[in-house]
Amino acid sequence: MTDTELEALFAAGREATADPSAALLARVMDDAMAQIEGRAVPAAAAVAAPLAPARRGLLRGAFRGAVAALGGWPSMAGLASAAIAGLWIGYAGPAGLDTVTGALWSDGYEVSDLVPSIDAFLTEG
Amino acid sequence: MQMPFDAQDMDTDEALLLAYGQGDARAARVLTLRLTPRVLSYATRLLGGDRAEAEDVAQEAMVRLWRIAPDWRIGEAQVTTWLYRVVTNLCTDRLRRRRGMGLDGIDEPADTAPGAEARLQHAARADALQQALDGLPMRQREAVILRHLEGHANPQIAEIMEISIEAVESLTARGKRALAAGLAGRRAELGFQDD
Repeated sequence: MTDTELEALFAAGREATADPSAALLARVMDDAMAQIEGRAVPAAAAVAAPLAPARRGLLRGAFRGAVAALGGWPSMAGLASAAIAGLWIGYAGPAGLDTVTGALWSDGYEVSDLVPSIDAFLTEG
Repeated sequence: MQMPFDAQDMDTDEALLLAYGQGDARAARVLTLRLTPRVLSYATRLLGGDRAEAEDVAQEAMVRLWRIAPDWRIGEAQVTTWLYRVVTNLCTDRLRRRRGMGLDGIDEPADTAPGAEARLQHAARADALQQALDGLPMRQREAVILRHLEGHANPQIAEIMEISIEAVESLTARGKRALAAGLAGRRAELGFQDD
């Protein structure tokens, strides 16, 4: 096969380009946006709390950031359990709770016992 | 789809990449539309026409471009050169993996698919060329594709393949000789007549 013939094949090959599908272009664009978001969140956190340097690249999204700040998902599970238990105690007011609160509070703890400075604040009006 | 005119369409790849690194989404859109077709075509040629795998490679290469954008060092390399190098490496890895899995179709003889004659001649020629390219050793194939199908100059190919210009010349010359020899038996089928 001559050089000219080979060049004719290359010309045919150059024409046979693979046009990207709309789906591929969308995926590529989504990736680009995800990278921008990933970079923007730590930057915003650094502005809001200059004393707490953002861990760049680890936190992606404000919610994920909040979860991480509270100690990750295990802590979130504990937090959720405590919230539900508190809601139930407030709503149902179980009788056994009086024993506990009695033991803790009946000896006459006042707010001022816990926060002494509040006394002065309250008397001065 | 006709895209509206955008001043950023005129910007260089590097200017757009730097703008994207600063969070400019429109720069990302222009780069996506400009570079994805080139990356995909090159990956498709390297991977022997496997479109699905080429799409994966194209997406992965573009992700790497997005990731490096904030740290891109001005003037150090051309964006396309960098991108072609990434695609070359990704495809090389995949072809090696294929070979390791015993699914290698790379070195199989060219297949004269029935019905090829009925297709448009240039499509048949493009197919034959792809099959012959698939039969070349990996580095020769990369060099020939970059030179004769992607249209890069030898210095740029040297940069993409991270070899000397002399090595590029040698690879393309050997690649072309092997292609000519491999396709010699198909001249008539491809519409070439003896003088």
